[in-house]
Amino acid sequence: MLIALSLVANLALAQEGYAPQRPVTDPLDATREARVQELGKHLRCAVCQGVSIADSPASMARAQLDKVRELVAQGKTDEEIYAYFVERYGEWALMEPKKSGVTLGLWVFPLLLLAVGLYVIWLQSKKGPTPAPPVSEEPKSEPSTDEYLAKVRADLEK
Amino acid sequence: MKKPIAVGSALAIIALTVYVMAKGFGSNPHEVPFLLSGKPAPAFTIKRLDNDQPVSFSDFKGKPLVINFWATWCGPCQTEHPVLDWAAKKYEGQAVFLGIVFEDNEQNTKRFLAQNGWSFVQLFDPKSTVAVDYGVSGVPETYFIDRNGIINHKVAAPFVDPREFAAHMETILK
Repeated sequence: MLIALSLVANLALAQEGYAPQRPVTDPLDATREARVQELGKHLRCAVCQGVSIADSPASMARAQLDKVRELVAQGKTDEEIYAYFVERYGEWALMEPKKSGVTLGLWVFPLLLLAVGLYVIWLQSKKGPTPAPPVSEEPKSEPSTDEYLAKVRADLEK
Repeated sequence: MKKPIAVGSALAIIALTVYVMAKGFGSNPHEVPFLLSGKPAPAFTIKRLDNDQPVSFSDFKGKPLVINFWATWCGPCQTEHPVLDWAAKKYEGQAVFLGIVFEDNEQNTKRFLAQNGWSFVQLFDPKSTVAVDYGVSGVPETYFIDRNGIINHKVAAPFVDPREFAAHMETILK
């Protein structure tokens, strides 16, 4: 009797600070349920840190997944289902930013930088190694006006 | 000719990097965006906790509305409960106050309200469907909805100061 009372008390304490378990929703048929799970992997859980609603054990994530289930059951398209969450949380709701509009830059910019880098490397390799600067010849001595030097030269030529 | 292009490109890349970093560092990474401000509040029909009667959003047409999403296991919700109690009494006749309990069970809620005051209508959202429709991202969250049924804004934090609550009320009583 005492053990049973203790268990009840512990369960009551365990509930403090946590959301109690919510009723589980019945899955759809196999094909549609697979689509629900796939869509859930692309949608961010609103109360978690970087986890999709399909991967999160949070009760709120399961509520969001239930919403996906409801929208799939209504025959909504993938785009309409994503739009439902984007309308509330913006593109933050998507695990990956959309490949259109401003966010297209996030996908294109790194590829563009890579392409520019490869182009520069190709240009450099096409030019070949830079030739070494030519060895400079001895500078020709200017005719000297030195009288002594002129005399020496004259003596040598004799 | 080539040099100005190279300098211009380098400056553009630096400016873009500074812009992205300033934007990233200037925002709270834990803040969940909310885009329903300025849009019509989603409709709902859920039951009241005191008499199990269904209540619809459309029942409050033409009246400013304050909706507080909360749960009994949430400490900050318990902290703000007296402020909401005070506000519901102060603005009686000017605005409708609704509590929507989600991620919780009826027994816990009824016990909590019996002990701490039950000054306004409390609804029960058993599968959190209304919370998801409203773009809730935590507890407590309070939505301020004008008399045209448009969400003016939401506050995703507990109220501890009645003056702060009064300032938010001004936005929907105009």
